[in-house]
Amino acid sequence: MPRFMFALVVAVLAVVVGGELALVGGQATSGEYKIGVLEPITGPLAFEGKRHVLGLEIVRDLINQRGGVMGKKLVFAMADATDPTAAASEANRLITREGVKIITGTFSSRLCGAASEVAARHDVIYWESSCVDPRFNKRGLKHVYRTEIDATGFGWYNIEFIAKHLAPRLNLKPNQIKIAFLSEDSSYGQGVTESARQRAKSEFGMQEVMLEYYNWQTLNDMTPTILKMKQLNPDVVHHISFSNDGVLFWRQSKEQNFLFKALVHAGATGYGGSDFGKALGNDANGVFALLEPGPGFRLEALKPEGQQIEKAFRDAVQKETGSYPLGAHQLAGSGLWLLKLVLDKAQSDDPEKFRAAVMSLDLPVGSMINGWGVKFSELGQNANDRVQHYMLQWQNGQLVTVWPEEFTTLRAKWIPLPAWDQRK
Amino acid sequence: MDPATGLGPAQIGVLVPLAVATILLGGIYALISVGLTLIFGIMRVVNFAHGEFLMLGMYLAFWAYFVFTVDPYFVVVVAIPLFFVVGLVVYGLVMRGVIRASHNVQIFTTVGLSTVLQNVALVAWSGDFRFVRPWHLSTVVRAGATTFNLTQVVASVIAVTLTLALVAFMKWTHAGRVMRATAQDRDAATLMGIDTDRVYRLSFAIGIAAVGAAGVLVAPLYSVYPTAGLQFVLISYVVVVLGGLGDMLGAMLGSLIVAAVEVAGSYLFGAAWKEIFYFLLFILVLLFRPAGLFGQRGAETLGV
Amino acid sequence: MLGLLRARRGAVILFGLAAVVPLAVRDAYFLDSLVLILLWGALSAAWNVAGGYAGQVSIGHASFFGIGAYSAALMVTRFGRGPWLGMLVGVVLSIGAGFIIGFLSNRLKGPYFALSTIAFSQVLLIGVSRWRGFTSGAEGIPVPFRPGFLTLGLGHVGWVYMALAMALICFAVEVYLERSRVGYQLAGVREDEDAAEALGIPTRRLKVVAVTLSAALTSVCGSLWAQYIGFVDPTYVFSVDLSVRFALNTIIGGMGTALGPFLGSILITSLETYLRATFSGVKAGFTGIYLIIYGTALILVVRFVPEGLAGIAARLRVRRAHA
Repeated sequence: MPRFMFALVVAVLAVVVGGELALVGGQATSGEYKIGVLEPITGPLAFEGKRHVLGLEIVRDLINQRGGVMGKKLVFAMADATDPTAAASEANRLITREGVKIITGTFSSRLCGAASEVAARHDVIYWESSCVDPRFNKRGLKHVYRTEIDATGFGWYNIEFIAKHLAPRLNLKPNQIKIAFLSEDSSYGQGVTESARQRAKSEFGMQEVMLEYYNWQTLNDMTPTILKMKQLNPDVVHHISFSNDGVLFWRQSKEQNFLFKALVHAGATGYGGSDFGKALGNDANGVFALLEPGPGFRLEALKPEGQQIEKAFRDAVQKETGSYPLGAHQLAGSGLWLLKLVLDKAQSDDPEKFRAAVMSLDLPVGSMINGWGVKFSELGQNANDRVQHYMLQWQNGQLVTVWPEEFTTLRAKWIPLPAWDQRK
Repeated sequence: MDPATGLGPAQIGVLVPLAVATILLGGIYALISVGLTLIFGIMRVVNFAHGEFLMLGMYLAFWAYFVFTVDPYFVVVVAIPLFFVVGLVVYGLVMRGVIRASHNVQIFTTVGLSTVLQNVALVAWSGDFRFVRPWHLSTVVRAGATTFNLTQVVASVIAVTLTLALVAFMKWTHAGRVMRATAQDRDAATLMGIDTDRVYRLSFAIGIAAVGAAGVLVAPLYSVYPTAGLQFVLISYVVVVLGGLGDMLGAMLGSLIVAAVEVAGSYLFGAAWKEIFYFLLFILVLLFRPAGLFGQRGAETLGV
Repeated sequence: MLGLLRARRGAVILFGLAAVVPLAVRDAYFLDSLVLILLWGALSAAWNVAGGYAGQVSIGHASFFGIGAYSAALMVTRFGRGPWLGMLVGVVLSIGAGFIIGFLSNRLKGPYFALSTIAFSQVLLIGVSRWRGFTSGAEGIPVPFRPGFLTLGLGHVGWVYMALAMALICFAVEVYLERSRVGYQLAGVREDEDAAEALGIPTRRLKVVAVTLSAALTSVCGSLWAQYIGFVDPTYVFSVDLSVRFALNTIIGGMGTALGPFLGSILITSLETYLRATFSGVKAGFTGIYLIIYGTALILVVRFVPEGLAGIAARLRVRRAHA
C-alpha cells in the first residue's frame, strides 16, 4: 500500500472532518430567538417551498414589529430539504449546529415524516404548517404538531361543500349525486381523494362512478379518460390536480365537449394555482378550489384581533408580491403566527410547558390569519372545524371566495355549469 | 360497470377519437425520438442525456415566448441551427473522446452530461414549472364528431416530415450514404477514406438539432422544468428499441405502437398504469426481440 | 493476517477512524454525516460487485434498495414484526429480482442492459405507487422509531457502528472477489466475456451470481436506511437519481477497487452535505452546483481517470516503482 495512498486517505479525511466540524451555525445574539426553518428550496418542490419561506418571512417581520416572541426578536436558521435524506440530515444540523429548539416547515409529506422523526429523537418541537399526510400525527410523537388540517380535512371540506351547498342548488339529494374521482397520484392527491371518497360514500351515500389516478409528469393527453367519463356521465367531477394536468383536463374536456355540473378541487396546486387562470382566461370560469381565503373575503366576519392581523398580513404580501396572498404564503404565515401565540402563552420553549400551552389554546374561528381558530387535539393536530377552509371559484380570471357564505360578499355562479361557450 | 369493456355503438364511437389520439400522440413521440434514432443508428452510442436536450429546447421556447412573445413555430426556425451548433460543441467537448471507448465510459459520460445539464437548468432558471401557452394551444380542428388539437397535429405533421426528410437524406445523398457506411462498419469506412470523425460530428449535430426542435414544438403541451427530460428519454428508448437500431421508419412505427399501448392501456385499465405498459413492453422486447420489431436478429449484440 | 492488514492500510485507517470517532465526537450532526457516508459507501460497494467486478453496469440498483426499504418498513408497520425479518424478506425478494436482472444481463449488452435496469426500477416505482392497499401508494410509509436493537432503534453512535458493520461486510465481499478464484473468473468475464467462455468459465452463471449478490447487499442497506431515516417514499427509493448515485461514488473513487466506493462516498457525500448546509437560505439555487460539479467530474473521471481516485494512487505507485 503506497505511502501516497496513505497520504491521500489522510488528506481526504482531514478535509472531511475539518469541513464537518467547522460547520457551526451563527449563534443567536442575546436579543434574538432562533427557530429552524426547513423547507424545500431546491429540487422538485422548490416552487412551493420558496413561497412558504416568503410567507414565513413576512409574518416574522409582523411578529417582530409587535414585540417578537418572548420579548426577543425572532430570527430564522434556514435549511434546505431537497429529499427525505436531506431533510433528516438538515434537521440534524439545525438541532446540533444551530441549536434550535423548534423547527417549522416543511410542505411535503415525504419531507416532514423524516424530519419530524429526527426532531422527536432530540426532544425538539416540530411545528408543521402544511404537509397533509394523515399519519403525521399518529406516530405517538409528543412534540410534533400540525397547524393545518391534513388531507382528510381537505377531502372532508370538499364533500361538505358538495353535499351542503352544491346538491341543493342542483336540486339533488346528496345520495343522488354521481361523482367521479380523478386525481394525480402523489401522496397529496391520494390523501385528499381517498378521504373524500370515504366521506362521500359513508356519510352521504354519493354514487361513485369512477376512480382514476394518473402521473401528472408523464401525462400529455387525457382523451382516453375523458371519453370514458363521457359515457359514465357524472354530475360532479372531483379532480385533484398538481400542475398542467388541470389545464389539460379542462381544455380537453372543452375540446371533447364533455359536460358535467361542477368540478371541485382542493389546494393551491393545479386548479388552485394562478397559472390555471393565466392559461385559460375566462375559459377557467366555474371551477371550484378549496383554499385559504381569497378576494371577497369579509374581514368583518372575523373577530377584531383576527381582522387586524389578517389585514396586516394581506397588505404585506400585496406589497411584496403585488398580489393577494397565495395558499403557500397563508399556510406558512398562519402557522408561524400560531407559533407566536403559543410561545406568548408558554413563555418558554421547554417541550412540556410548550405542550401545555398548545393544549390550552382555544380560539374560535375568525381569530387569526385566514380566519382560523385554534384547538389542538391530544395528538397535536389542529381541529378540522377550527381550521376554516373556503371554497373559491374562478370567476373572470380570478379565484374568489364563495363559500361559506357568511365569510364572503361573493356568490358561486354557474351551478350547474352551462355549455362551454356560455360561461360568462 | 366499466363501459370500456363492453362493445356497443357507444364503444365503436369511441374508437375513432382513441385512434386519433393514438396517431397524434405517436406523432409527438416520433418527433422526440427521431434525433435519438439517428444518433444511435450512426454512432451506436446510447445518449442518456437525450431528454436534457429536449428540455433545453423546451426552455428555449419558453424564454422566447416569455421575453419576446415569439410563437414556438417561429422559434423552431432558430432552434434548428442553434441546436446544430450546440451538437457540434458537445460532440467536440464530450462525445468525441468516448466514441471508441468502452460502453461504461459512454454510458457514464452521457449520464454525467445529463446531470450537468439538468442542474445547469435548475441553477439558472430555478425549479419552477413554466408554461408556454401560445394562442393556438386551445385551437381545435373538427372533422365530424372528432376533434384534433392543432398543436398536436402540427407536431405530428412536422415529425413525419422530419423523419421522411432524414430518411431521404440518408438514402439519396452522398453524405447520407457515407453516414450509413460508417454505421455499418466503422473500420471499413475508415479504410475507404471516410473521415469517421466528421461523420459522427455531423450525425450528432443533426440529431441534437432534431431533438432541440422537438423540444420547442412540444413545449406548449407539457410543463417545462429542469427534470422534464427524464420521462421522455425512457419513451424515446422504447421507441428506438422497438423500431430497430437506427431504422427511422421503424422508429416511427415504434412510436405508434407505444402510443397505442398507452392510449389503449389508459382507456381500459385507467391512466395510472399507462407507463407500466410501455415499460413492460420495453422489457419484453429487449428480452425476446432486442433487435426491434423490424431490425435484424442478433444485431443488438454486434457492433453496439 | 498481518500481511492483509498491511496491504490494506488505507482501509484499516478509514474504517478504524470510523470506529474510533464516535467514542470521541458526540456531535449528532457529525455522526449523522458519518452514518450517511458509510451507508452510501456500502451501497456503492454493493453496486461495485456487479458493476466494477463483473462489468455489469446497472443504473437500476435503486430497485433493490427500494425492495429492501419497503420490506423492512412493511414488515414493521403492516405485519407488526421486526425490521430484521423484513430485511431477510427483502434479501429474498431482491435475490429474485436479481435473477431477473441477471437474466437480462445475459441477453443484453452494455447500454441496452443499463436501459433495461432503468425500466425495471421504474416498473417497480409505478407498481408500488399504485398498490395503495398494501404499500400505502405514493404516500409512502412512516417507519416508527422504537428504541432497541431488535427494532433497529439505535442512537447515533449505535447507527455509526451498524453502518460501519455493513460497510465492512460489503468491503469484505469486494476483497474476496479480488483475491479468490471466483473473483479472477469474474475479472475474466468483465474483460473479455467471449475469451472467458472459451476458457470454460461459466460466464452466464457467474454474472447472475454477481448481480444477485450485489442485489442482496443493496437490499440490506435499503432496509437499514428505512429504519434510519424513518420514511419510505416510492419516488425516492426507486429513483434513477439514487441508482446513478451508487455508480457515481464508485466511479469517482475507483471502479473495480475495494476501497474506491468508500473514497468516492467520502468525497461526494461530505461535499454535498457541506454545500447544502452552506448555501441554505442564502442563494439557495446554488446547491444545484454540486451536482454540476459531480456531473462534470463524472465525465472527466470516466474518460481520463477511469480508475478513479484509487487509480491515481496506483499510477503513481507504478511510476515510483519505475523511478
